[in-house]
Amino acid sequence: MKKTNAWLFAIVVSLALVLSSCAQPGAAPAGTIKIGLQAPLTGDFAAEGQWAKQSVEIAADLINKKGGILGKQVEIVIADDASNPKDSALAAQKLISQGLKQVIASYGSSVTAPAADLYDENKVVSVAYGSTAVRLTMEKQRPYFFRTCGRDDTQSEFFVKFVTEKLNAKRIAIMHDNQDYGKGVAEDAMKFLQPYIDSGQVEVVYYDAITPGESDYSAVVSQIKAINPDVWFFTAYYPEAALLLKQAREAGVTSVFVGNNSVPTPEFEKIAGLDAIKGSIHLNEPMPQFLNFPESREFLDAYKAKYNEIPGSIWSVYAADALNALAAAITKAGGTDPDKVANAMRTMTDAKGITGPLLFTERGDRKDIPYYAYIYNDQGVLELYWPK
Amino acid sequence: MQMLPEQLINGLIIGSFYALVAMGYSMVYGVMKLINFAHGDLFTLGSYLGYTILVFGAGWVTATFGIWGGVIVAVLGAMLGIGFAGLILERVAYQPVYRAGRLPLVVSALGASIFISNGIMAVWGPRFQAFPEVSIPTGSIVLFGDFRITTLKLVTILVSLGLMGLIYYLVERTLFGAAVRASALDRDTATLIGIDFRKIIRFVFFVGPSLGALAGVFVGLNYTRIIFTMGWTYGLKAFTAVILGGIGNIPGAMLGGIMLGIMEALFEGFVSGAWKNVFVFLILIVILIVRPTGLIGEKIAEKV
Repeated sequence: MKKTNAWLFAIVVSLALVLSSCAQPGAAPAGTIKIGLQAPLTGDFAAEGQWAKQSVEIAADLINKKGGILGKQVEIVIADDASNPKDSALAAQKLISQGLKQVIASYGSSVTAPAADLYDENKVVSVAYGSTAVRLTMEKQRPYFFRTCGRDDTQSEFFVKFVTEKLNAKRIAIMHDNQDYGKGVAEDAMKFLQPYIDSGQVEVVYYDAITPGESDYSAVVSQIKAINPDVWFFTAYYPEAALLLKQAREAGVTSVFVGNNSVPTPEFEKIAGLDAIKGSIHLNEPMPQFLNFPESREFLDAYKAKYNEIPGSIWSVYAADALNALAAAITKAGGTDPDKVANAMRTMTDAKGITGPLLFTERGDRKDIPYYAYIYNDQGVLELYWPK
Repeated sequence: MQMLPEQLINGLIIGSFYALVAMGYSMVYGVMKLINFAHGDLFTLGSYLGYTILVFGAGWVTATFGIWGGVIVAVLGAMLGIGFAGLILERVAYQPVYRAGRLPLVVSALGASIFISNGIMAVWGPRFQAFPEVSIPTGSIVLFGDFRITTLKLVTILVSLGLMGLIYYLVERTLFGAAVRASALDRDTATLIGIDFRKIIRFVFFVGPSLGALAGVFVGLNYTRIIFTMGWTYGLKAFTAVILGGIGNIPGAMLGGIMLGIMEALFEGFVSGAWKNVFVFLILIVILIVRPTGLIGEKIAEKV
């Protein structure tokens, strides 16, 4: 008898829950604008997902304090994509079925891709914040897809600018790991270097791959030492970067080491050790602690007041900027109609974000995404190196 | 032109790690005709054990006897610990299924491999661990030209070559070694003439894994970074070295390991890093076509 009561109670409660959640979709109470956030709250990227959630909520608070969008308060609806493409599609369906017209989604190119297709088919404007694969915007045109983060080849372009304008390097070594991301960055770097090679200003003295997952890279290190390039650009992940750099410095290689945006991490510092990382330069999107626009200070102060720290990565700040971009576009379009908002995203010129001006190309890429070179100082702390 | 000797020495270092791990594979195979898939994971476990000793136990040793004191304690501790782990593995995973034939043994070995590597992940976590910087010996010497080698690497080469020599002497030149070789040749006859086969098995399952543990700790000391999956990478290369040298034969494993390391370094240094493994395995295929028993493999006739 007792058991039956418990069951009955459970059924009544779940019915009540279902009914109350059915009441919400579409019929948003007047005075709020709902914007979806698809984030990896669980799975491999769980940390990124948490930061993204907190950042977007802080950004929404700031917007609401200033009177909201078109006088309406912003409400964030969250869906977890569990860091994988399969759950990403489910999360997208969930947000679409709730009648949302604007969403922020998501972290990781392979996770974002299936969701971006669904949003596009259902005419939902989606803005990605941590999906840098070139193919997302260049393989096919998705009229409702945008991203606030940069593209992988932006980094290669910045590298070329950096070595030719700042370092004035002549002899360059480029090393990748034969995997998608690293090889892509290396190939793009070669592409952007080509004019300089043709004019004789630079020379690529080494272009090859290492085998990821190994421990001893002394054969490659001997080779780098014999070639002695001015700049040694490494375009893959931190575990190999740390070992290579450590072994190279032990062997007496003095070339300037330039790492890409997956290198400077706490693990990299721990494995390579202070002696090796000192003076190494790393290309990165602006790190949160170095953001210096008025909007960034306002955001970081608010974030710090609530969580006692600043976001652990730039990607979550891009998520907050995705909200700022959508807010600016909805304001410009005068409503949440997806076609008008997508058009406003492409044409707006005065939207300011935490990471700088929010301008988008015809294909949905962020324009003029800033890149910076950071250097490890003698205490092993990253400092801004160029452009200052 | 100092590139060639430099790459030869680089290869010798990589090769001595392969050779140390390969010897464990080969000893077990020789006696039991079993490819001990869990061997690579015992190597990893040895590395983590050395790491743990250095982080938690060896502080006062380092403080009292200097940095090399800490290293010696970590190495000996790991070798002893993994030696016993090898004995336990044999008792738990292999002994119960000896009589069931070779296939159940292999399945049991694969199971043990998965069990150990996941156990390491559960205990120490799935991320990279770094050997503590304070307990790694620093310093380097110039060998020739401007070729600089860390003292630690030099010690690594000398210790592994010394140990290989010791094991070679033990197996090839002593009465006990003769018993080990006799058991490898024909288990039944060896038992008939009074050799305690269980004792031989315990010997190979103690010595093989502890050599692996030695390699594991030295990998950690030399390269700092360890991860629970590294037994797979090293195990695969060491297994290749065993095949290259001739399976079941200890000098063959040493030769195979060192040759593999040198071939890798030479190809990476002079041709292309991206194509290194293609080349190395191509050589392996060619050698197996020309000499199916490996470079100094067992003579088939002896086994009949």
